[in-house]
Amino acid sequence: MSRFILPVTALLFFIFESIFANLFSGVMFGSDRVYVPRLIMIFIAFLAIYGSKRLGILYGFILGLCYDVVYTEILGIYTFLFPVLAYLISKSMKVLQANLLIAIFVSVFFVGILEVVVYQLNVLINFAKIGYPEFANTRLLPTLLLNLAFIVILSFPLRRMVEKYETERDSA
Amino acid sequence: MPQFFNKRLILLLVSIIVLVALIGFSLREREELSWPEQFLKDTAGWFQNAFHKPVSSVTGFFENLNDLQHTYDENKKLKSRLDEYVKLKTEVQDLKKENDDLRNILNKEKDDLSEASRIQATVIGRNPDRWNEMITINKGTLHGVELDMAVETSEGLIGKVKSSNKFTSSIQLLSSIDPKNRISAVIQGNEDAYGVIEGYDEKRQLLLLKRIPFDKKVKKNSNVITSGYGGVFPRRLVIGKVVDVKLDQYGLNQTAYVKPATDFYDISNVVILKRDIPAPEEGKSGTGQEGDGGQ
Repeated sequence: MSRFILPVTALLFFIFESIFANLFSGVMFGSDRVYVPRLIMIFIAFLAIYGSKRLGILYGFILGLCYDVVYTEILGIYTFLFPVLAYLISKSMKVLQANLLIAIFVSVFFVGILEVVVYQLNVLINFAKIGYPEFANTRLLPTLLLNLAFIVILSFPLRRMVEKYETERDSA
Repeated sequence: MPQFFNKRLILLLVSIIVLVALIGFSLREREELSWPEQFLKDTAGWFQNAFHKPVSSVTGFFENLNDLQHTYDENKKLKSRLDEYVKLKTEVQDLKKENDDLRNILNKEKDDLSEASRIQATVIGRNPDRWNEMITINKGTLHGVELDMAVETSEGLIGKVKSSNKFTSSIQLLSSIDPKNRISAVIQGNEDAYGVIEGYDEKRQLLLLKRIPFDKKVKKNSNVITSGYGGVFPRRLVIGKVVDVKLDQYGLNQTAYVKPATDFYDISNVVILKRDIPAPEEGKSGTGQEGDGGQ
């Protein structure tokens, strides 16, 4: 049972992102702001913080590859970014102490980093033409707010789940 | 430990090279996704389909409640439009019949560019990061969906099929800023003006209709439809209305800003259109896009 809990959660988050984008893309918030759900990033962040570096990078790579193939059809961006960010998160947790508040702060911070880097890459390949101030206003801030809400709701169950998985794996 | 650091640095550099190569590979015009991609997309599509139904029925309930609040006002408005509609309908029928008769007299064969067969589909997912605006639908090559077909909702054109797998397909919306996204269009008026839809103004949320000859007078509020001359899309799909016209940089062409008829945010059901008259060979051998033949 506990063996499957991480993959199943990953799958649920993965599918839910697209369903969220589809159902709530304009109805709830007004159409000029873009709220990007970053559940996968949150998941990977918590894996890297409370699990192990290896776990974070592994899931980051697999989920990133799936994300690129299924959603963006531009291979490489997320496949590269998720593992790298997982690595950076676990590095930064060596300096910081792992209490829940700091975990929340770190995951929001890295969601922001992901958003900015993805924006820069899209500017590079000519898929985005908006300037930086506008990007911050219409995308970055709404996305951070939405994901902060997600993180606050999910942080406690996610932490418990990952910690439980880790202790069971260690004892086995 | 300098050696240790070097190993990581090399790993990072190698993965950056792989990243650039992969991006380059996927930005290239691809006739078809590779089979592992197709398989993955179909599998994800199955899960999306399974989850979509219960979730959308819940949100549908709340939307219905919301709709009920506006019903009275909307009903009032619609009633006033109803008389207009009946008149329009009889007129259209009359014109259609006349058109057919005239065609018969001229012995002209059926070559109407607007003739198309339709495939109905449901939207089951959307690209969450919303840079390259794409939606996923639950029909694929098995149902007859092919690359570059036009996709519309009841309100008008929303995009084209970007890739199709066995059971699902991806649709690129008009609002996605892909330089390869071009559609030949007509501005209706006393004198038709032809141009090409090229790009999207994200700030004002308007489509850019470029390369209209400078001497054409384009009125604001005139309708914009597809011309069918691009070779792939059928004629007469509604795109939107002209909001603003500007001369371009060198004064040789005009650019019209078009307000899309559809809302690119709230899409749940779409129709995929397959043009009955096949595209000329020339158009097909190209890069697989709606060409810019509309001038």
